[in-house]
Amino acid sequence: MVKKATLIDIAKFSLLVIAAGWLLVRGSSQAGYNWQWYQVPRYLFTIEDGVFIPGPLLDGLWITLQITGCSLVLATIIGLLTALLRLSNSLVGRIMARVYLEIIRNTPLLVQIFIIYFVLAPIFNLERFLAAVIALSLFEGAYASEIFRAGIVSIHRGQWEAAHSIGLSVFDTWRTIILPQAVTRILPPLTSQAVSLIKDSALVSTIAVYDLTMQGRVVIAETFLTFEIWFTVAAIYLVLTLSLSQVASLLEKRARCRVW
Amino acid sequence: MNRENQHRDELMSDIIIQVSSLYKTFSATIPALVDFSAQVSRGEVLVVIGPSGSGKSTFLRCLNGLEEIDSGTIIIDGIPLDENEKNRLEIRREVGMVFQSFNLFPHKNVAENINLAQRLVRKKSRDQAMQTTMDLLRKVGMVEKAESYPAELSGGQQQRVAIARALALRPKVMLFDEATSALDPEMIGEVLEVMSTLAREGMTMVVVTHEMGFAREVSDRIIFMEDGRIIEQGETESFFLAPKEERTKRFLDQIL
Ligand SMILES: Nc1ncnc2c1ncn2[C@@H]1O[C@H](COP(=O)(O)OP(=O)(O)O)[C@@H](O)[C@H]1O
Ligand SMILES: [Mg+2]
Repeated sequence: MVKKATLIDIAKFSLLVIAAGWLLVRGSSQAGYNWQWYQVPRYLFTIEDGVFIPGPLLDGLWITLQITGCSLVLATIIGLLTALLRLSNSLVGRIMARVYLEIIRNTPLLVQIFIIYFVLAPIFNLERFLAAVIALSLFEGAYASEIFRAGIVSIHRGQWEAAHSIGLSVFDTWRTIILPQAVTRILPPLTSQAVSLIKDSALVSTIAVYDLTMQGRVVIAETFLTFEIWFTVAAIYLVLTLSLSQVASLLEKRARCRVW
Repeated sequence: MNRENQHRDELMSDIIIQVSSLYKTFSATIPALVDFSAQVSRGEVLVVIGPSGSGKSTFLRCLNGLEEIDSGTIIIDGIPLDENEKNRLEIRREVGMVFQSFNLFPHKNVAENINLAQRLVRKKSRDQAMQTTMDLLRKVGMVEKAESYPAELSGGQQQRVAIARALALRPKVMLFDEATSALDPEMIGEVLEVMSTLAREGMTMVVVTHEMGFAREVSDRIIFMEDGRIIEQGETESFFLAPKEERTKRFLDQIL
């Protein structure tokens, strides 16, 4: 049974969408915009002789997926290590972690990308793709580390004490007691962070990495389908982020069943 | 080994916990333990009583290195609890502890909770560990729940599993910190029963409890403490029948 209040909400929402759509269409036609949606599919993909050939937008999506995938793995590792350093007994370790966090969180991502691409990449001979992955990983890793830290300190002290009293080593305590429990609490906020990562990855188009956003710009420069392509690009990002959230909530439910 | 040494070893081996002049403070103002000295013989059951905040938990937690002492010495089964990491680890493995809040590992089932230390610390195979685990579960009457998760158990059941977990490394000493205080009244009995059985089997135990009936029945000796100091100690019967100190009498009047 759907509640009456929900139905009313849905009705309101639909009205709003229709109104916004109407304003947009009317506005654009007054501005003399000539909608050509039929042009769009070929920039997604074409089928020649029954063979599927991805267009520039799907090529871009593939790059975006590669970049976010690599960055996600790297950011998770960086985040975990930083969190462990911050919680460690080593003063040097704590200071290093702190300095990294403050620098990353208090400067714009765009500037970080430029520094890594224009300053560090030539020195260390990095490719664009790698520079993009490093910049995104360092950025998201800083936020991920805060998520890890919060998840870890939320584990009750009694768990440490029980592990201590049965003679487990510190390493085994982390590995078998603390981290497995922390993961359940970390997963939801980490997913939001992954969603941010997907969105932030659009910024790498500024260093001419041919991701989804960059390909969109290229197609528009050639075709002037400004409205259609930007809407399509946004829709693709939306599908990506929404399905990620969906997968994460499934994972979370499964983990919760097992733990609680 | 020569004769003299052997004799000394026998003498020493009678005392399993030797604590002298412990001093421990959390804040500069009120110390949690002051000039605290005590001995426990092998197979003895020592009950520690006292008002809330008198340092009972702190004493137990110092015995297995959960708290650092400021000064004094702790020797357990001949091993000094000092800076030496190896000694500390050894003592943690020789001393089992049962907490008021059970502290089972919620993401592991009952059998895994008990297997864990055997596998990681004693490096037993899964089968070997499981055998010990099942023996222990039989002992605490929890065999049918081997596959359950802690959240599916009552408080009394969780505490019995926690006792089995603490026994898994075959400790020489067991510490109980208000093991029944968090339990609903109807579950206290089942946990006390397991503890009595252990005591009867000759386990050395240091027990903090408010269950005076249990203390009287099971313990060999009582320590009454207040403000981090031992006020009075003695054999159980004489302690309850004829307490010497005024403060002890007042405390017993309140609690009995
Ligand atoms: N982790 C801690 N930090 C600060 N003070 C503590 C801590 N643990 C215990 N104390 C203090 O030490 C004293 C003894 O506490 P505790 O050993 O827990 O007493 P009991 O177990 O007899 O109730 C109390 O004054 C308590 O407030
Ligand atoms: Mg206490």
